[in-house]
Amino acid sequence: MNATDSHVHSFLDPQVLAQLAHLPLVSRFAMEGSVSGHHKSPHRGSSVEFAEYRTYVPGDDLRRLDWRVLGRTDRYYMKEFEADTNLRCCLILDASASMNFAGKTGPSKFAFARQLAGTLAYLAVQQGDAAGLYCVGENSTPELPPRRNPAHLQEILNALQTLEPHGPTTILRTLHDLAEKIRRRALVIVFSDFFCELEPLLGCLQHLRFQKHDLAVFHLLDRMEMEFKFDRPLRFEDLESPFSLVTEPAMVRDEYLRAFDAHRARLRQACLEFNADYREVVTDQEPGKVLADFLTERAHQVGAH
Amino acid sequence: MTFLQPYLLWALPLVLVPVIIHLINRLRHKPQPWAAMMFLLQATRASTSHAKLRQWLVLLFRTLAVLALILFIARPLAGGWLGWTLSPAPDVIIIVLDRSASMESRLAGQTITKREQAVKLLAEAAREFQDKSHLVLLDSATRIPQQLASAKSLLEPTLTGPTDTAADLPTLLQIAHNWLVENRAGAAELWVASDLQRSNWLPDDERWKTVTNQLGKLPQGIRVRLLAFDDDREPNTSATLAEVFRRARPDGAELNLALDLARNVQPGSAPAHFPLSLTLNGVKSQTELDMDGAALRWRHKVDLGAAKGLGWGTLALPADANARDNAAYFVFGSDSILRAAVVSDQPALIRNAQLAALSPATRQPAEVLAPVAWAERTGSDAALLIWQAPLPDAAGEKRLRGFIEEGGAVLFLPPGRTDTGKFLGFGWAEAQPASADKPFKVAKWGQQEGPLAKTDEGLSLPLVELEISRRQPITDGDEGKRQMAKGESAEAGEAAKTSPALIASSGTALASFADGSPLLTRRALGKGQFFFCATLPHEEWSSLGDGPVLVPMLQRLLQTGARRLNQETMVACGELSALDRAKQWTSADGSTGKDIALHAGVYRSGERLLAVNRPGAEDDRTLLEPAGAKKLLGTLPLQLLQERTARSDALQGEIWRLFLIGMLAFLFLEAWLVLPPKKRLPDGSAPELAPAA
Repeated sequence: MNATDSHVHSFLDPQVLAQLAHLPLVSRFAMEGSVSGHHKSPHRGSSVEFAEYRTYVPGDDLRRLDWRVLGRTDRYYMKEFEADTNLRCCLILDASASMNFAGKTGPSKFAFARQLAGTLAYLAVQQGDAAGLYCVGENSTPELPPRRNPAHLQEILNALQTLEPHGPTTILRTLHDLAEKIRRRALVIVFSDFFCELEPLLGCLQHLRFQKHDLAVFHLLDRMEMEFKFDRPLRFEDLESPFSLVTEPAMVRDEYLRAFDAHRARLRQACLEFNADYREVVTDQEPGKVLADFLTERAHQVGAH
Repeated sequence: MTFLQPYLLWALPLVLVPVIIHLINRLRHKPQPWAAMMFLLQATRASTSHAKLRQWLVLLFRTLAVLALILFIARPLAGGWLGWTLSPAPDVIIIVLDRSASMESRLAGQTITKREQAVKLLAEAAREFQDKSHLVLLDSATRIPQQLASAKSLLEPTLTGPTDTAADLPTLLQIAHNWLVENRAGAAELWVASDLQRSNWLPDDERWKTVTNQLGKLPQGIRVRLLAFDDDREPNTSATLAEVFRRARPDGAELNLALDLARNVQPGSAPAHFPLSLTLNGVKSQTELDMDGAALRWRHKVDLGAAKGLGWGTLALPADANARDNAAYFVFGSDSILRAAVVSDQPALIRNAQLAALSPATRQPAEVLAPVAWAERTGSDAALLIWQAPLPDAAGEKRLRGFIEEGGAVLFLPPGRTDTGKFLGFGWAEAQPASADKPFKVAKWGQQEGPLAKTDEGLSLPLVELEISRRQPITDGDEGKRQMAKGESAEAGEAAKTSPALIASSGTALASFADGSPLLTRRALGKGQFFFCATLPHEEWSSLGDGPVLVPMLQRLLQTGARRLNQETMVACGELSALDRAKQWTSADGSTGKDIALHAGVYRSGERLLAVNRPGAEDDRTLLEPAGAKKLLGTLPLQLLQERTARSDALQGEIWRLFLIGMLAFLFLEAWLVLPPKKRLPDGSAPELAPAA
């Protein structure tokens, strides 16, 4: 990506890209890629890394018969090696109107999510993996299946550039659809504020995990939403509908925070339970640091495996 | 509730200002785009009931605060008497004050009298209105409406001081009505303060209907507020002079007094013992008196010795609950020569009466005249006329009426034959003989007063021993005519004409036979009285001529007729004739500040002495029920307050303080409710300002 591109795609910060360039985007589980790459595959292959011996079964490829063992013991063993494959990174970005919310401390949640998604797509393609983009939105949302060529990256970035959050969220339906649509194991990263019913949402996330995808969840929040500090009655206008509500924040603050925190805690807990990588992101954080932490922790987790 | 500044009530719609501000504020709330609406809705739902209640309360308190402010500025008056009407101050307030003697009773357990309390309360109540309304005092004694400069004037004794007069409420209301009409007054209120004494209110009077109708028809609207002092529990004894006359004796003269005492005690209570002071021509003496029961007639004789000429005196009881009804005043004159005249065309029948009616001074029997002779005679010095002849014709009747109206007494005796003539509706039926073995007997007669009363020694006249063998029943033609007018048959009318029992409706039967028909009837006319007696004092008719009944009866009738010859010496307070009122009177006992029109006492004008006593009806303590008073006032709007205590603020007072305190309380509550709940910020930081949209 040259300077011109980053100028075109304002959400890509060269400094962040440079800062993250040395950090690999890894999957925590075996992936099913189309070509060989840096990531573990569930299949045996021809890499240099020994995997296991197993007894010969008629029909096995004789080329992988361990001749030395046969010569020494007169037994037929197959020598198998790990396969390395590429990563298919599916970025799912919530483009509902609620993501357009911007507090006074940072960019809008959508802008923040777009930067994260664009940067990750760039990193993935940069390390030879495929990146795809799916959007959760009401109309004409782009569906870009994962590909590894730079042209595709350009497409993704263009789509991100032009995307405008609009309408009510359709995240539940979209996630279910994508869980079915993305056939092979992939790294699925969801960017959303998850302002929807929690139980159906958890069903969606579980669906994705059930398909053996490596699921990462970026829960985007604004500081203002988290703290709810207002001192005078306001007219709260819903971003996703014409509904508005006049209320005195001081009076409802306790209840609001209780409900809000319960929602966050439950989502975090559920993700932990079904081994999804949950990240709560506040828009006043540094995007570079958020991604660095994400990548580093994943690298550590994989190393620990 | 009444307001001193009622026009400020037009500002009442201002109570909507908080509501309007609230609505405007709702529109002016800063919009805040919000994504996490689901949590906000959830929170609002949880705290909505409390928050809404609080908001409504805040709005309510703001509205009430404004309301209290407006009412406070409008200077409301309220009290039990003025009530809670939203009427403005009236144009005219006519204060009708009962100044009768009965209003001088002390209030139960108090040291002030009903009148004093009434004046105090009325002055207090009127003070609030003196700038807005014309105050007019109409008191029962003078009956002249007087405009008052200020409410304070009510307290002046010359206007509202005690009197010994009686009150006449229908007349007062009529005067009030006339005043309102003559002065073209606007909306008016009548403030009536009275003790609801029946003799003052005259509930049977026909004028009530007229006056309430007239007041009700006034276009400006009349409201009546009645301050009733219908509580009469304090023990009280009243003294009234029943009789006073000077009797000549061989060795000089004596004064006969009869004093009626009445006290309002329950029957069976302990006998009272009190001193009675008698003042005679300024010389005071005292006697002790025992009184058992509720009423007593006390008779007393005072030896006047050889003293001649006019004299006066006072009988007084010690002070009790009502100081005005303890004294009785009298004046006695020199002996006048009382004579009787008999007009008869059958002098033989009337001989006994002629003898019995002898003049006490000259001991001469009565003069006998034929009817023709009497008609021709000009003027008469007789006090009593005994008429035993057919009833006179029109000219004769006129003459007789003149005689009675001057104060004379006339006793009509049966002519003994058919007589179709009438005298003021009275006439004679056919003579009735009794059966030989069963003469007519007298069954009952008035023993308390009148010509057949008990003697001074308390002995009854022996009427029960009278044997009447022949009588000529007395008829009342008016009664017969009334019966006819009711559409009854001529026979019934005839029967009524001949039925003596019907007489009592227009005359008072002083004695009646066992069958109910009257023996002796009396009717007042002008200053005098006339009597009809149904039998003759002759042996063919009855044993009346024997004397024990006839002599005292005729002598008393002579005394009754003496009024014709004497100048009036006794008068009820407030009933002074216009002629006498024009004279200059001074109090005979030398006390000053007494007004003959208002106060009882003995007054002197030149050679003439006049005793003024409170009207006898004032001693009748029968009270009207408040409901009865309400009924009398008919459809007039009435506010009644029965005043039994001496609280000075009972009628009304300005209550703006209440509204001021109310307003402050509402504002305080409102402020407390709108205070932001600081404790809900656990970090202790002040809430940030809402971000700019």
